[in-house]
Amino acid sequence: MKLNTITLRNFRQFAGDQQFELQSDALKPVTLIFGANGAGKTTLLNAFTWALYGSMSDDVEEQHRMVTDCVWRQVPVGSTVDIFVELTFEHEGRGYRLRRKAEVRKESDEQQRFVPEVELWETKPDGSSEEIVAPQERIYSILPQGVSRFFFFNGERIEKLVQKGAYAEVQHDIKVLLDLEQVERALEHLPKVDRKLTADLKRYGGQKASDIQTAIDDLQEEEAKRKEEQKILEGALATLNEEREAVTELLRQHAAAAPLQRARDKARQGLADARLALNQARLDRTSLIASRGFLAFTGALTKTTEEIASALYERGTLPAPIKREFVDQLLEDGLCICGTPLGGSSAAHESVLEWRQRAGLQVVETAWQQLRGQMAPIDGARRELFDSLQAILKRISSETDRVGRFEEEISELDGQLKESRLEGVQELEGKRIELDGRLGVKQQKIGSVKTALDQIQKDIARLTAERSRAEVTDELAAKARTRSDLVNSVRRALDEILAIRSEDMRRRLDAELKTVFGTITIKPYTPRLNEHFELGLFQIIDGVELAVPKSTGENQILSLSFVAAVSKLAREIRTERRAEGPSAEDAGMYPIVMDAAFGSLDQNYQREVSRALAQMAPQLVVLVSKSQGLGHVVGELMPYVSHLGVIVTHTTANGEVGDDIELGGVAHPYVRAEAETDHAELMEVS
Amino acid sequence: MTSPEYTEKDVLQALTDEERALLKRVLEIERSRLHVKAADLTDSLLAAVKEVLP
Repeated sequence: MKLNTITLRNFRQFAGDQQFELQSDALKPVTLIFGANGAGKTTLLNAFTWALYGSMSDDVEEQHRMVTDCVWRQVPVGSTVDIFVELTFEHEGRGYRLRRKAEVRKESDEQQRFVPEVELWETKPDGSSEEIVAPQERIYSILPQGVSRFFFFNGERIEKLVQKGAYAEVQHDIKVLLDLEQVERALEHLPKVDRKLTADLKRYGGQKASDIQTAIDDLQEEEAKRKEEQKILEGALATLNEEREAVTELLRQHAAAAPLQRARDKARQGLADARLALNQARLDRTSLIASRGFLAFTGALTKTTEEIASALYERGTLPAPIKREFVDQLLEDGLCICGTPLGGSSAAHESVLEWRQRAGLQVVETAWQQLRGQMAPIDGARRELFDSLQAILKRISSETDRVGRFEEEISELDGQLKESRLEGVQELEGKRIELDGRLGVKQQKIGSVKTALDQIQKDIARLTAERSRAEVTDELAAKARTRSDLVNSVRRALDEILAIRSEDMRRRLDAELKTVFGTITIKPYTPRLNEHFELGLFQIIDGVELAVPKSTGENQILSLSFVAAVSKLAREIRTERRAEGPSAEDAGMYPIVMDAAFGSLDQNYQREVSRALAQMAPQLVVLVSKSQGLGHVVGELMPYVSHLGVIVTHTTANGEVGDDIELGGVAHPYVRAEAETDHAELMEVS
Repeated sequence: MTSPEYTEKDVLQALTDEERALLKRVLEIERSRLHVKAADLTDSLLAAVKEVLP
């Protein structure tokens, strides 16, 4: 398939009729079209798929607004608007004009969904032209819709091609493109053909042949059941494998996050300790103040007390255990506190008088000494209180700092760990072990189904040989037997062809993929396509091959390499000696139309991808923005460019939004402000 | 039978003319209806068998 032109009428942003030439040759296979963000690059990409299949990609918003807004607004209610996309292309020696169109009646300002019609005209080598009766069927046979994902795509989303979960669909489409699918289908359908043929043999072939055929039929029925069982088991196995891979990935994340988690656990423990120490310091301070805090206020008090006591001491009136006045009162009363009369110069009187002498100075001296003895420690205790308080305040300050540091550290580690999807490691390990167990059981079942199938096939072969020897007199039955033998020979050959092609395609695709990827990537990674056509990226570290977790950029490069490899192989295989017979010269040849080809790639990769792109397809249409496409991209692609274009944005916005694009030293309009309507203009600039 | 030395060409060469013709026709029919997932091609294939072995 080789594109010649695309024509749009009132299609999305593209108001009125607009046409762009796409014809190119092997020397200059590239068409490079620039457009600002929102100019209509994605719309143009979708114009191709809409024309071919009537569908657009999911990333196109407001899909019901197919007619250009400004055109729709200008049309009166009750009138109709024409919309179409027309493609002209060549395929296997024939020219085609494909038009998907609609005449949309305006019922209100809001656009309604409509069903477009598709028309396809074929121009034969003799120049005659005819309309194809089943146009969509023909388009599907030229380029099946699923396969188109390899040829019409958005570079920013292409990484999905190699992501897990897409394998089943991608694998199917690769099989279609690499001519494996038709072999698989033939192998499914031929047994039914055989069953119809051998019905005559059973009916007219005589007892023996009929019995043998019945036994073969039973075995074939069993074989079909077993094959179905095998398919279901293999599907379940693939699902389990995916599940196991997801669990392993989570475990890998755990492993990567483990040092961070350990650091966070340590910090959490440190924080708890610091908070405990801070609380203890605060409690110590409280307890110190409660029990000895009063000492802080005794500085002046001890001094005053000493002065008062000193004066009292001087006067001898310092409070003492027995006061002289008390003894004087006893003597005056003439009666001791024990009831003894204290008259005259009695011994009792003398004794009490003696006490009066003693109750004087000695007691005052003693009390004075006691009081002074108590004053000195109070000063010491106060100083000690100040020292203790200072030490505790230092502890509080230091623990407060420690708490702050740990809080900051934990916050930082939380941030680093936030993105990881983490489940409990033990739970995940348990799940992985359980999945391993289930995988083992499934593999065992698949093994036993395969053994049973081997046996069934041997039995069928034995019975078929017996059937060939059985005497059949009826002509119709004999014919049926010969035809059945023919069908079964073809089945066996197809079985072998499928095995040969599958392995050959995988091996060649793998080799091509390695080559293309190797020319683009700057990393020591190697892609590999396994026997299930699943794509992985690996790196050898110390002699051990390890799977590489792919970034978006690597997935994009891998996907582009994959597309390049598939595209090249699809062309190559059709030039080889194959069961289908010789192919047309351009068989397996498809254009690649890509929007945002460089996705999120950095400049190094943009250059390498541009270089690879120029060689990857027989025809390449690249849609890029100025920021993505100038510089390395233009430098690499320009020698291969046959058509250079710009989707000019016309906007009603005022101000200085207008912009030009300089290509080959010439400025071309890129954005035009203050337009009458908002629309896009597809313009060839060379 | 599927060793690297054994190719598709070898498989084809081992077939009779009739087998080769039927195989080619079967693949043509299947290829033309690849886009129809539920296509029942039994009758078309049966007709092909009868074309090859009238």
